[in-house]
Amino acid sequence: MKKISSVIIVFAIMLAASLTVISTASAETIKITGVISKIEIAADQKSAIAVIKDNKSGESISITIADELTLDKLKDKRILEGDEIRTKFEKEGDKNTSKMFKKTAGC
Amino acid sequence: MSGKIAAIMLGCALLATTAVAKEHPGKEQILKDGYQGPKTCETCHPGKAKEFLGTVHWKHASKVDHVDNLNPNEEHGMKNRIYTMCNGNDIVNNLKEVPPNALGKTKFTGCNTCHPGDHASDVGSTGPQAEQAIDCLICHSSKYDFSKRKPIKDKNGNVVMTQDRSTEAAANIGRPSIKNCMVCHEAAGGGAMIKRGFSMAKDAEVHVTKGIICVDCHQVKNHKFPTGRDPNNWAHDGIYMTCVGECHTSKPHTDADYNRHTDKIACQTCHIPRTGGAFSKDFTKWEKQSNGFYEPSTLKREVNETAPVYAWYNLTVSNTPTFIGPKGSRTDGKSKIYPFKVFQGKAYFNKKNGQLMSMDFAPPISNGDSLAGVASAAKILGIKDYEPVPGWQTIYFGSNHQVTPKNKALTCANCHAVNGVLDFKELGYAAKEIEKLTNPELYFEKLLKLQQEDE
Repeated sequence: MKKISSVIIVFAIMLAASLTVISTASAETIKITGVISKIEIAADQKSAIAVIKDNKSGESISITIADELTLDKLKDKRILEGDEIRTKFEKEGDKNTSKMFKKTAGC
Repeated sequence: MSGKIAAIMLGCALLATTAVAKEHPGKEQILKDGYQGPKTCETCHPGKAKEFLGTVHWKHASKVDHVDNLNPNEEHGMKNRIYTMCNGNDIVNNLKEVPPNALGKTKFTGCNTCHPGDHASDVGSTGPQAEQAIDCLICHSSKYDFSKRKPIKDKNGNVVMTQDRSTEAAANIGRPSIKNCMVCHEAAGGGAMIKRGFSMAKDAEVHVTKGIICVDCHQVKNHKFPTGRDPNNWAHDGIYMTCVGECHTSKPHTDADYNRHTDKIACQTCHIPRTGGAFSKDFTKWEKQSNGFYEPSTLKREVNETAPVYAWYNLTVSNTPTFIGPKGSRTDGKSKIYPFKVFQGKAYFNKKNGQLMSMDFAPPISNGDSLAGVASAAKILGIKDYEPVPGWQTIYFGSNHQVTPKNKALTCANCHAVNGVLDFKELGYAAKEIEKLTNPELYFEKLLKLQQEDE
């Protein structure tokens, strides 16, 4: 019985590990450029969601922003609705998490 | 870390914290009376507006005596320079509305977008109107609403830059924070982190990690900013800064071998091992963007993706149409080895005199026609005799920010290695010398001991 339990535990650990790997592997990195149609800053000010209309596909994509530098730019309106941005985000299930979020415009 | 340095670090951290938390005197008065621009500031700080008009931040130029082929009696800087990171300048690329593109869209653009005035009083302007046009709060307010700072056309059709002069912004003033500086300094050269390619985020700069902000090192006196000696940064307020001073000594290491290096190796060489941003641009080839506008084609990397190039630098600058970079050698007695970000840009040269030509970006942004941009710039500058031919220019940018934690700085084996980060041949060493310089005998015992301590 003890042996069977050990086998089950080992199997469970292997299953959990493989699921973790699958989950990590399924995160896809996507780059798009587009205009921000909506910005919503969370009540706790620790994250924001920006909706970007992808210039290529025309699709509107919601992206979660949690890095301090970009959040600060959203809060003090250095980045606004209507600005065109270039972003790189990780898509994991339904959630898109920003890894880079920059205005395309320079001087 | 020595006790003295630790104490200074703590002091800087406390100062930085205080700068954010401490309320500026006069807040009640501002809340009561509202903010009327610089004249409100001058109630307590008389003469500061006029003083600011004499600085590089306002003039975008100064007399320059350390760069070849410049008239030392004239002022040079972003106002009038022509080089291939920014093929325009404040004169030819004065803030303006570009002609409509094929989609009928237009936009405002110009090198002087960052100028802290209202554009009606522009780069280098003087007098009472200019004094009152200064945007004090963009540098001094922690509550500046950047949506209020934008180019618009006034009732006469002139392009002006609006400002946030709200009471809320004025009531939250103090020493400039990193954000206040980086609003402009990270956006230069055509986008975020393009020109200089460094980040002042906590995880990118060890000084910022420790709570130190830009103006702790760039200690401003009467609105004049001390700067380092980037060979591509010509205009200056007449004061320079180095790492050595209040925080670091000229022999800052506990290791005597490292201290022996400081006579010939700049701090940045070991402590800023990475850089980034744009490393090449082609102003003769503009790429159509999905919004219908064009941008100069640019090769770029993230802020820590580029290895610098190392060269001797005696703080004077070679300036020719095809090269802007450090002068110096291992034998001149003045030079040290510094790290640089090498940038190469393609633009048009005037075949008639070999000089690099400038470009008005309005035409190519609208339709991609770079030669129309050259023609427009030539017209603005009164150049009639020219024949544009494409060519490349190499520029060495100083690598002076993004200091790494000391455990990630370069060590003996990074440089004293075959094919190490220093190209000893290029730095002027003979084959026999290189053989000695790349022999592990130099450092083996030291690194072995360190390794044993770590294990």
